[in-house]
Amino acid sequence: MSTSVRRTELPLTVRTPTHEPLNRRRRSTPGRAPATKLFLILPSVVILILTNAYPIAYAAFQALHNGSLISPGEFVGVDNFAKVLADPAFWRAAGFTAVFAVAGVFGSWIIGIAIALLLRTRIPAKGLLKTILLLPWVVPIVVSAMSWNWLIGTSSSPVPTIFHALGFGDAIFLSDPLGAQITVCLFEIWVNFPFMMLMMSAALSSVDESIYEAAKIDGAGAWQQFRYMTLPIIAKPTYISWVLMAIFCVNDFPTVYLLTHGGPVGATNTLVVLAYKTVFQNFQTGPGVAIAFLMTLALAIVAVLLFRQIRKSTSQ
Amino acid sequence: MTTATLRTKIATPRRSIEAGSRGQWLRFAILVALAAFALIPIAGTVGLSLRANNGTGSLTLENFANVLSSSGTVAWLVNSLQVALATVVVSVAVAAPAGYVLSRGRGRLVGGYSLLLFVVQALPVITSVIPLFILFSHIGLADNLVGITILYVASSMSVATWMMASYMDGIPGSLEEAAWIDGASVFKGFLHIVLRNSLPGVLSTAIFTFLMAWNDYLVASIFLRSAGTFTLPIGVQTFFQQHSTDWGSVMAVAVIMLLPPTIIFATLNKFFSVGGVAGSLAGQ
Repeated sequence: MSTSVRRTELPLTVRTPTHEPLNRRRRSTPGRAPATKLFLILPSVVILILTNAYPIAYAAFQALHNGSLISPGEFVGVDNFAKVLADPAFWRAAGFTAVFAVAGVFGSWIIGIAIALLLRTRIPAKGLLKTILLLPWVVPIVVSAMSWNWLIGTSSSPVPTIFHALGFGDAIFLSDPLGAQITVCLFEIWVNFPFMMLMMSAALSSVDESIYEAAKIDGAGAWQQFRYMTLPIIAKPTYISWVLMAIFCVNDFPTVYLLTHGGPVGATNTLVVLAYKTVFQNFQTGPGVAIAFLMTLALAIVAVLLFRQIRKSTSQ
Repeated sequence: MTTATLRTKIATPRRSIEAGSRGQWLRFAILVALAAFALIPIAGTVGLSLRANNGTGSLTLENFANVLSSSGTVAWLVNSLQVALATVVVSVAVAAPAGYVLSRGRGRLVGGYSLLLFVVQALPVITSVIPLFILFSHIGLADNLVGITILYVASSMSVATWMMASYMDGIPGSLEEAAWIDGASVFKGFLHIVLRNSLPGVLSTAIFTFLMAWNDYLVASIFLRSAGTFTLPIGVQTFFQQHSTDWGSVMAVAVIMLLPPTIIFATLNKFFSVGGVAGSLAGQ
């Protein structure tokens, strides 16, 4: 790999478990004052265990019982899982969750990296544009959802009115299943592209401009430079951003729930929304927790696959 | 090498500069279009909050006066501020020492803990929130601002600890070693040397935890059940339960909600690292 790429200066220090501190001059004696170190880390460990170990154990218990929010119920084995897996609503939600996550990850990544590349060139009013482009990420999701609801919520909202005036007919956004699905994905992209823009800007700032000069002389076009030079260099931060965004999209609740409540007729139910409704609206704790477990399992598999890809891309 | 080839090499960049000025306007136009996509919903929110209800379209602060005088908005605002600030203080107090141990420590235990923090961060909130709701109901912490603060501290802890550890990685260990030689304990070395030099890291962590607590909807919607404990994101939903939504009032509350994060970003932007940005989204 070219030495002109200043890898060590990558400011993108997402602290993954394999993260090694860059500062190797430090020689802290590992055995020094273990009691003090235990004391320093103890509050964090206690909070972690109390708010995670207990709930996960209890959730596993709930998944195997037919209880409710007020009673533990009787042991039913894997009945809850069988019931969930036999329910077409679960598979519809699983399918839409996959579409939603793929659209969220790649939609926001494409816009984010495009902006990051454009911001590297000479452009007027760069600072102002950068600030405006960050806004969707800064604004609380509840506020964004209200804005979007006002913009497209009913047929008399501003955007459908403009569509009608332009001769596109009665554009329906949230009352039609497909329209609602597209709108929810677009909303997710709108919320998340600034994050990708930040991640990719940071990654690109570690790429030395001088590497392109030789390529330009050799006649490589902009796309070839991007595809064969830039992209391989920023592969690792790109994969990290995909993992984080995939985790976020699958776990994302408010984006969907606040815009459509999962409707119409369950078309925009993601697994999180379905689990929430099963527990807090239908009061079926066992099946709800079972949905959450199955979702976690799928997410873990995707995360592990992508992490392998990260390892591969860094070992090259 | 002949002069002819040299000349073409010099000519190539000149041509790309000429083509660049037209390309520059195209790139600018694309960015402006994307900025419009980003801005329109937010501009609409601010515009509606300032528009008079009498249909004249004149600018007024009456919507703000209405929501701040007649509804529970002030109480929700106070609740939101209390919860967010308490989350910031407790999170930093817990994450800074833990981050120090992660930054300075080697070995399997510390590495294992770092991995555990990542796993916990990736778990869906919905899985743990249901049992915690049952537990908190039994011990009186459901529908309670203390209870929700505990949950926010817990859900921001992974990222907050990583942010502190990353920042402390940049502080040379020789500083505290010098203090140890002068007879300081490990704890004093942490407090007086490392923490005192980590203020930008602390600020960055504080911003992240504040935003997380201020913006949360899911946890609050499950745990906060009575109007007295509502935070702003939950309280404002009650505006939608009437038949026709009073958009002026809704958007006035929305503007009150978006002001603190926007002001924080405008002023403290440079302290907020991308690493923190990454984690905060993954953590929502």
